[in-house]
Amino acid sequence: MRGLLRGWTLAVLALVYLPILAGALAGLSRSRYFLFPPRDWARDWSLDWWAKVAGALEIRALVANSLLIAAVVTVLAVGFGLCGALAFARHGWRGRRWFQRLVLLPLCFPQPVLGLAALMWFDTLGIGTGWRTAAVAHLVWIVPVVTLVIAIRVYGFDPALEEAAADLGASRLAIWREVTLPMLWPGIWSGALFAFLLSWGNFPLSLYTAGADGTVPKWLYAKMVAGYSPMVPALGTMSTIAAALVLGAGAAVARLARGRG
Amino acid sequence: MAAPPPARSRRRRRLSPGLRAAAPVLALLAFGFAAPLATVAAMSVSPPGSFAPAPGPDLQAWARLVDPAGGLPGSFAVTLGLAAATVAALLAICLPLAHALVHLFGRWSGLVSTLFVFPLFVSENVRLYGWALVLLKNGLLDGTMKALGLGPGPDWLFTPAITLAGMIYVHLPFMLFPVVLGLSLVPRETVEAARDLGASRARIWAEIVLPLASPGILIGMLLTFTLAAGALAEARILGGQSVIPVAQEIETAFSYAQDWPGGAAMALALVLITGALALALLAAIDLDRLLGRRR
Amino acid sequence: MTEGGPAAPAPVLELRGLVKGFDGIPVIRGIDLAIREGEFLSVVGPSGSGKSTLLRLLAGLERPDAGEILLRERVMTCLTPQERPTCLVFQSLALFPHKSVGGNIEFPLKVRGVPGRARRDRARALMALVQLDPAYYRRNIRALSGGERQRVALARALAYDPEVLFFDEPLSALDQRLRRSLGAELAALQRATGKTFVYITHALDEAMGMSHRIAVLNAGRIAQIGTPDELYAQPVDRFVAETFGALNVIALTRDAGGWHEDGWRPVLPPDAQIAGEAAVAMIRPEALRLLGPGETAANRLEAEVMSDRGLGAHHRLELRARGRVWLLDLPRGVPRPAPGATVALGWDPADTILRAR
Repeated sequence: MRGLLRGWTLAVLALVYLPILAGALAGLSRSRYFLFPPRDWARDWSLDWWAKVAGALEIRALVANSLLIAAVVTVLAVGFGLCGALAFARHGWRGRRWFQRLVLLPLCFPQPVLGLAALMWFDTLGIGTGWRTAAVAHLVWIVPVVTLVIAIRVYGFDPALEEAAADLGASRLAIWREVTLPMLWPGIWSGALFAFLLSWGNFPLSLYTAGADGTVPKWLYAKMVAGYSPMVPALGTMSTIAAALVLGAGAAVARLARGRG
Repeated sequence: MAAPPPARSRRRRRLSPGLRAAAPVLALLAFGFAAPLATVAAMSVSPPGSFAPAPGPDLQAWARLVDPAGGLPGSFAVTLGLAAATVAALLAICLPLAHALVHLFGRWSGLVSTLFVFPLFVSENVRLYGWALVLLKNGLLDGTMKALGLGPGPDWLFTPAITLAGMIYVHLPFMLFPVVLGLSLVPRETVEAARDLGASRARIWAEIVLPLASPGILIGMLLTFTLAAGALAEARILGGQSVIPVAQEIETAFSYAQDWPGGAAMALALVLITGALALALLAAIDLDRLLGRRR
Repeated sequence: MTEGGPAAPAPVLELRGLVKGFDGIPVIRGIDLAIREGEFLSVVGPSGSGKSTLLRLLAGLERPDAGEILLRERVMTCLTPQERPTCLVFQSLALFPHKSVGGNIEFPLKVRGVPGRARRDRARALMALVQLDPAYYRRNIRALSGGERQRVALARALAYDPEVLFFDEPLSALDQRLRRSLGAELAALQRATGKTFVYITHALDEAMGMSHRIAVLNAGRIAQIGTPDELYAQPVDRFVAETFGALNVIALTRDAGGWHEDGWRPVLPPDAQIAGEAAVAMIRPEALRLLGPGETAANRLEAEVMSDRGLGAHHRLELRARGRVWLLDLPRGVPRPAPGATVALGWDPADTILRAR
């Protein structure tokens, strides 16, 4: 039974990563059209498409836009999420149950619909769409996620620690700096990672709200629907590797911080 | 002779710390979530051909929505049916998976969980496109089978079935992690006690594990259902127009068809269905217990 | 240890008519208490008696609904915990898990702006005082045992240099042996530093060994306060008497002939003056004795031995007389009747505690 369950887990994992592997292979093949297996295993590989992607000015602009949106979203989402998490899990207040449900609601709505609704709203207000509006749309979906991630940490935090600090003479600010923030730090850090990566990979919200500012997922979708180019899997794979590197670096930093503390 | 105000009323005028902490998020959701949905609602009752909410109310868009001749009710039925099938399949896949994650991997469970989270950070288009590359003629599957002399691979691409498979694939983490949270709510001793009292494995699942884990399982079902109901890319990239979900009808209405009120009515209908479901389910779940592991 | 403690009459901390409730349910129902300078006072009560709420009021973590708290005759009811020169050792200890042992102990000095060098010196001195190995200075809190954590929490509280230290059953999570030795150390530390300690616990044995005085809390009120000896020998009521151990209880009513239980009239202490028509007579199990042949006592009952259990220093016999169970303690080594035997038991009126019911 245990072996069966382990096997099942590994099989599902293999299926999860199979398409990512296919994309990586397609981006590395020399030919204009994807053929598998290659006729010549030794010679049919090349980094040509990767080089083409890396050299394209258009794509550099996309990456810059995606990074800008992700960075802005990360900073804001952590600020919003930290406050939200305290309201969600810490303070006992009358509207709390109601607030908890409201925060979860955007997660339960189809993202294309949220994106469209935001587009119409910005249109009504006379705000032109661009990276700023895309960041707002991302926040509506990402702030709830960050709130939940930090809230889980807040639940595990014993309020007696703050009381003890107050009892030992620490001011409100000193309690916040010396006790609350360090205790919530792991949650804040994972929340920031989630915010960055979810924004970086988001397509349905950007589709409607980024306007003329292209993002990497938007560009990929346009090319996929239009026809095949190996630049699509090449850029997709590069984006995937970038996300993996960010995740790995984030985990390493968290581990380092834990080892020191 | 002004008497000092009673302490009680003074306290009421000051915001509670909870409300103060909630204020930024509430403001964001009011601006980026509630107001846009209100705009959609206003747009859906605007006269045909308008591109901004216009004074109405004009119910033509809603009339077309429920007209069987227009094919839209069918589109809704197909979409919700696919979403329901996605939920059922994900439950079957994720219950054993979540059990394994909670109980079997020990110190590796962090790594295995991360491997399941990571795809969330890769644009779903890229992953779906990867499936197209697997299933294409001369793709990963077809090519491998041919090379092994097993004949041509199955012709699955551009069918309704592969659309469903794509939806299951994309939404797996949204089922898996709430179920993991739910299963870790089940105290080990209750399962041991049930076994000690002579309950079979199936009985233990039916009578102990599933009821205790139900908050997580319900949240997973809710998330996957609502997200699948709004799914767009699966039908486009893998299904090749063999199925047309509501989300695509909406997109068409806003782009080619230039029918903004019609699109808004469809969007609002979808929001109302998923929103009602979400509110009904969330009202029944104790989030403090699920997230705070308070037994 | 139980000799009254310091005799200074001026209280360091005084509570006047303290009242506190939550959601309309009263928890503290009017407490007046004067805590003396340099004494070790324990507050004992069952769970739900309001012990922890009382301590939170004293530390300033809760505001009373009514009443005042005075420190050296200065009102401090409205001061925040930061402003009060008192310090609480929490039940959970509330050590900061992200700080080292040294970081925890230095915390109150750090927030007060004491420079790093002086902080370290003070922390090391305090570690020596609470008998913590200096090598622990850089250790993570998570790596410490329960007893070591107690010492860190104590050192941290002392670093604040409070005028009064409060303890919220900090020893309750430890095993019995450790609890006993740490309790003795705590009492010694209190005597050595001369600070005022207020210690809250549900475990009476713990309080008995450490305290100058004990206050017994019952349902949000102080039932009695006094030295452990006073409380044991002269409890004001049945609640306090039962807090201090097992009892044989006779429920009495009054008629023209005096006190009786269903017509049986035990001899009572002569000076007992009870108003009302109902009273209890209480006799400790060690005050009952077995009467040998020819031996007499003012009170005498024929009884049958039902069971005999060894409780370490003494044996406890359960006897049946007058249709109910009587408890009788015999020291180790004294010959004991076998279960089933018929014996005579007796006691002196002076050992009877008579209180209104």
